[in-house]
Amino acid sequence: MSQRYFVLLGILAIVTSASAQTAKKWTAPKTPWGDPDLQGWFTNLQEDGTPLERPDQFAGRQLDEIKGEELAAIKRATQQRTITSFQGPLHAPENWWQKDLHLDQGSQAWLVVDPPDGKIPPLTQEAKDRAAARASARRASGRGPADSWEDLTLYDRCITRGLPGSMMPVIYGNSYQIVQSPGFVSIRYEMVHETRIIPLDGRPHAGSDIRSYMGDARGHWDGDTLVVETTNFRDDGTFRNANGATLRLIERFKRTAKDKVRWSVTVDDPKTWTRPWTFSMPLTMDDSQPVLEYSCHEGNLGLVNILKAARAEEKKAANAK
Amino acid sequence: MRNKLLLLTISIALPAWAHHAFSAEFDEKKPLKLVGRVTKMDWINPHAWIHLDVKDADGKTVSWMVELGPPNALLKRGWNKNSLPEGTQIVVDGYQSKDGELRLNGRDLTFPDGKKLFAGSSGTGAPDERPEK
Repeated sequence: MSQRYFVLLGILAIVTSASAQTAKKWTAPKTPWGDPDLQGWFTNLQEDGTPLERPDQFAGRQLDEIKGEELAAIKRATQQRTITSFQGPLHAPENWWQKDLHLDQGSQAWLVVDPPDGKIPPLTQEAKDRAAARASARRASGRGPADSWEDLTLYDRCITRGLPGSMMPVIYGNSYQIVQSPGFVSIRYEMVHETRIIPLDGRPHAGSDIRSYMGDARGHWDGDTLVVETTNFRDDGTFRNANGATLRLIERFKRTAKDKVRWSVTVDDPKTWTRPWTFSMPLTMDDSQPVLEYSCHEGNLGLVNILKAARAEEKKAANAK
Repeated sequence: MRNKLLLLTISIALPAWAHHAFSAEFDEKKPLKLVGRVTKMDWINPHAWIHLDVKDADGKTVSWMVELGPPNALLKRGWNKNSLPEGTQIVVDGYQSKDGELRLNGRDLTFPDGKKLFAGSSGTGAPDERPEK
């Protein structure tokens, strides 16, 4: 064997070991001013097909047990179910749109991580009474589903998807951007066109009479994890009909790999659920999914068209009498 | 019976998946195929719209509006501002609006050379397009 051969082997060994060390030694990056660096474009489109609660087929099992080929098979089935549901006399050939779904790349079998049974805790009696009173008031009003634009959801009206709705994966618009500066973290949401600017300086929450759709957010670092507590929600459009004044969302953002940030949300509202609960999913860094303009209200012809459709249906029903 | 079967198939094919619930605006019982000439494309949110001159049954030219997906989704699926220049002859499959006006929820779009684009107006059929409430 020539000396050159051994030199080559030696170089190869050094390169291999160096790259193995690089892979093992990944550490979460820091900003120039020393905060953990979470910045970038993210998407969670892959988790669109992941149910919030644990499906009954997994009763008695833990989330981290469902992995490998079992998880891959579930995700392929979700993708296939979606494709099948789209078959009909009018449908696009699969190759035009399936590649945009990515449901087969979902990373979890469900999203609720606490309670350990993967189920949202029971509603309090107060929450049940509140929902019943709302439904009853709606019935008493005699209003139809689309008498006015005010009968449509805040999302239909291009106003907001609220929190945590603005980061819940759906069929499109799942692009987010995290930007940091000393003392602040900003999160941009493509749909519907929101930016949260979260102070990290320990200032107190706004007074309890100041309430908004996206709430009042305050953040701090817990080691490498960004913890954001959001309160002061309005009562309309709150997450799963929670009580706006008492709902407290605690989000955690932690960079777990070069291209991943784990986002978890603890939902705490003693007036709605019998205990706090938490769901979690990964956000994947993806430069091909930048936040694009989504000036939803500008061209929301659908809203007018829904009202026109409702009037046409009423006329049809009246003529049929 | 044959008609009933067809309607059944259509209703199965349309789960609720749109920014706006499909069924609030369009009629799943009115699938249509339009052949016409593009007069304008509105790249607006939350849905882009094609304006299309179509000859009706009497040979009269009427203007249809075809609803597409949001510009951002179309862009990520291969559309761009040159995809539908004015004057392009296209065939669009879709569903007519419930109020009977000349609006269509576009699904497939075919060019004269057979090339196709997926309009994706009501999403791509994912399990739940609507956000958590």
